Amino acid sequence: MEKKKYSIKTDFTMLAILLIPIGVAVNFVGGQLASILKLPMYLDTIGTIFAALLCGPWVGAVTGALTNVLTGIANPVNFAFIPVNIIAGLVTGFLARKGMFSIWWKWILSMLIMAAVSIISSAPIVVLVFGGVTGSGTSLITAAAMAAGANIWAAFFGTEGIFTVLDRVISFVICWMVMKVIPARTLVKFPIGSNYLHKKSQTK
Amino acid sequence: MENNYIEKIQIHRKNRIAGLYPSAKGFIVLAYSISTFILGTFHLTDMRLDLLLIPWFFVIPVLCIISGVLAKSMKAMKAVATVSAIIFAAQLFLIPGGKVLWSFGFLKIYVYGLRSAIRLSFLVLDVAGIFVWLFQTTSNKELSRAMEDSGMNYKAAYVFMSSLQMIDILGKNSKSIMNAQRARGVETEGNLIIRAKAFFPSLVPLILGAIIGSEERVLTLEARGFSMQCQKTHLFKLDHSGLEKPAVILSTLITSALLAGRVIWGIMR
Amino acid sequence: MGDYAIECKNVTYTYPLAENPAIQDLSAGFEKGGFYGIIGENGAGKTTLCVILRGFAPDFYKGELTGQVLVEGKTIPEYKTELAAKIGYVFQNPFNQISGVKETVFEEVSYGLENFGVPVDEIEERVINVMQMTDIEELAYKSPFELSGGQMQRVALASVIVLEPDILIIDEPTSQLDPEGTDSVFRIIRELKEKKKTIILVEHKVDLIAEYADEVLVLKNGKLIAQGKPEDILSDMSLPEQGVALPQVAVLGNMLRQKGFPIDRIPITEKQAAEEFQKAMSRRSGRP
Repeated sequence: MEKKKYSIKTDFTMLAILLIPIGVAVNFVGGQLASILKLPMYLDTIGTIFAALLCGPWVGAVTGALTNVLTGIANPVNFAFIPVNIIAGLVTGFLARKGMFSIWWKWILSMLIMAAVSIISSAPIVVLVFGGVTGSGTSLITAAAMAAGANIWAAFFGTEGIFTVLDRVISFVICWMVMKVIPARTLVKFPIGSNYLHKKSQTK
Repeated sequence: MENNYIEKIQIHRKNRIAGLYPSAKGFIVLAYSISTFILGTFHLTDMRLDLLLIPWFFVIPVLCIISGVLAKSMKAMKAVATVSAIIFAAQLFLIPGGKVLWSFGFLKIYVYGLRSAIRLSFLVLDVAGIFVWLFQTTSNKELSRAMEDSGMNYKAAYVFMSSLQMIDILGKNSKSIMNAQRARGVETEGNLIIRAKAFFPSLVPLILGAIIGSEERVLTLEARGFSMQCQKTHLFKLDHSGLEKPAVILSTLITSALLAGRVIWGIMR
Repeated sequence: MGDYAIECKNVTYTYPLAENPAIQDLSAGFEKGGFYGIIGENGAGKTTLCVILRGFAPDFYKGELTGQVLVEGKTIPEYKTELAAKIGYVFQNPFNQISGVKETVFEEVSYGLENFGVPVDEIEERVINVMQMTDIEELAYKSPFELSGGQMQRVALASVIVLEPDILIIDEPTSQLDPEGTDSVFRIIRELKEKKKTIILVEHKVDLIAEYADEVLVLKNGKLIAQGKPEDILSDMSLPEQGVALPQVAVLGNMLRQKGFPIDRIPITEKQAAEEFQKAMSRRSGRP
C-alpha cells in the first residue's frame, strides 16, 4: 500500500466538514445519556473519537474543541477543558492514520494510550485550576477522597483515572460497533475510512 | 409584493445594550475577563484573600438588568452559581494549610482553604457569568453572522451553526431511540453494568443514521451552491445599536484604570 | 429531434470496491423539455444512473466511469460548480435535504440563492413565487425540522426549483411519504412539466409516469432493457417478470383481453381505461 500523503487541507473534505457537527452533537448526547442513565462517566468524547478515526487528527481536534466551546455556553467550566479534548482528537487521529486500529489488539493498545493521554492532560487543569473539584459527579468522588486525607494528585488519579479509562473503553467500543456496520461504500468516502474496511466485504 | 418575509426574519433589539453589535459585546466580555484576572491579583488582608472578585461579580447582574435580560438569565446563572458553590465548599473544607480558622468536629477550615475557595469559585463565577450575559443577549443566528462578517471562513460558520442545530436534533432523536429500546425490553434501571449496557443500543443507531445521512447532505449543499466561489448575499443583517463606541471606550477605561490601580498599589506596598 | 439536455453514451460505471459495474454500457438521450420516467426493480441502477447524470458519480462517489456524459453538449468537468444552476436534484429522504443552518423555511429556501449571490430583493420575489407554487407559504416561519415528511419534501423541492434549473432529476421523491404527501409532490411535478422543464423522474408509483411521461426507460441489472413511449412500455406484459410493476389498469386491461374482451389498446391511465373499457363493452353488445 502506498504511503498516503496527508495534509490539513485534504482532511477537511466536505464530508468531514459535515461530520464535525455530528461529532459535536454525539458528544453532547453521549454526555446527556450518561447522566440520564446515571453512569459515573462523562462519555462526551465519542464524537471526537470517531471524527478523528474517520478524518484524522485535525478534524478530531476541531470537533473536540467546538464541543467544549458550545457546551461551555451552558456551563463555562467546560471552556477550561478545551485543550483536553483537542489533545484527545489529535492523538486518536494520529493513531488512526498510522493504522493503529486495524486489529483488535491494536484497538486495545490505542485505547489505553488515549486514556492515559486524557488523564494526563486533564489532571493539571482539574487540579491547578479547580483544586481538584469541578463540580461534576466524578470530581465529587475525588473531593471525598481528598477529605479522607488523600493528596490532591493521588485522589485525582485514583478516581478520575479509573473512570476515565472506563469512559474511553466504552467510547471506543461504541465507535468500533459503528465502524462495523457502516457500509464499505460510505467508509471509502472518508479520508481514513479505508483503514476500516472489512476484508470480507468485496461487494457493494 | 409584501416586503414582510425578509423583515420578519431580522432581529431588532429594542434595548440598546442587548442590541450592541456582536463584536462590541465580545469586547466587553474580553475587557471584563481581563479585569477579573487583574482584580484577582489583589491579595487583601493578612490572609491574602482575593476579595475584590466578589463585588466585581455584581457587575454582571447589573449588566443583565440594563440589557433587559435578567429574567432570562436566571436559569443559566443558577447553574453557574451551583458549580461555583460546589467548588467553594470543596475548597473551603478540603484544602489544608495555614491557621485553622474554624473547626467543628472533624470539619476544619484553614486559611489556604478560604483563600483558594474565594479565588477559584469567584473566578469561575465572574468569567462564566459574563459569558452568560453574552449568550443571553445574542442569538445563534447573530453569532454565526458576526463570525462570517469578521472574516471567518463561511465553512467554519456553517460548522458552528450546524453543530448547534444538530445538538437539538440528535438530542431529540436520542430520547425517542432510548424509549424505543426501553419498549423493546432494554433495561435502563438497575446496577451499573445493566445501565452501561443500555447505552449502546441507544447510541449506535443514532450515530449510524447521522453519518449515512450526511452523505446526501453533502450533495444537497453542493446542489445549493455551497462551494461556489462568488460573493454571497445575506438576507439577515446585523444591527448596530449606536452605543458601540461608548461601550468600547467605557470598557477600555475601566480595565485600564484597574490595571493602573494595581500597578500603583503594588508600588506603594 | 430536439437537442439533448443530457446525453450519455456507452456509460459503464462501477462503484468503488464493487466487483460488478452498477451501470453497463448505457446510452440514452434526454431531450430538452421532455419528461422521462425511469423504472425498474430495486438495485437495477436507477439511482446510480441519476447520480451519474448529475455528475455526483464519479466525483463524489468515486468509482470508475467509462463512456461520456454530456450536459447541453458539454462534459461535466467543464461546468465545475456551476452545474448546480443547470441541474436540480431531489433525493428520496427529505430530512437529508435540510441544510441544517437555517431556522425558518423561508430562509431555507433562500439559502441556495444566497450562495449564488443573487440580490436580496430578487431573492424575496423568487422565494415567494416558489413557495406559492409548492404550497408551503403558510410554513414560511416554521423551523424546517418541525415539518412532516411531505412538507419537508416540498421544501426540498422548493429550495431546488427556486434556483431555476432547466433540468430536474428527481429520485423517488414520494417513497417515504404518505398518500397525502405523495399527492402534493405529484402536483408540483405536474406544474414543472407545464413550465417545460426537462424532468427525469425515478418512481415506483408508475401511475404518475403513465400520466405525464413522454418516454419511459426500464433498467435491470444496470442495463437499459426497454425504452419507449409509456403506452408501449407500460402495457408490455413481459415487464413484470423483469421486476417492473405495471399500472393496475394495464394489468386489468390485459386480464380482460385474455378473457376475450375486445380491448383495442391496453390502457395505462384511468382515463384511458374508462374509454377503452367503454368501447370494448359497446363492441361486445354489438353497438358500433
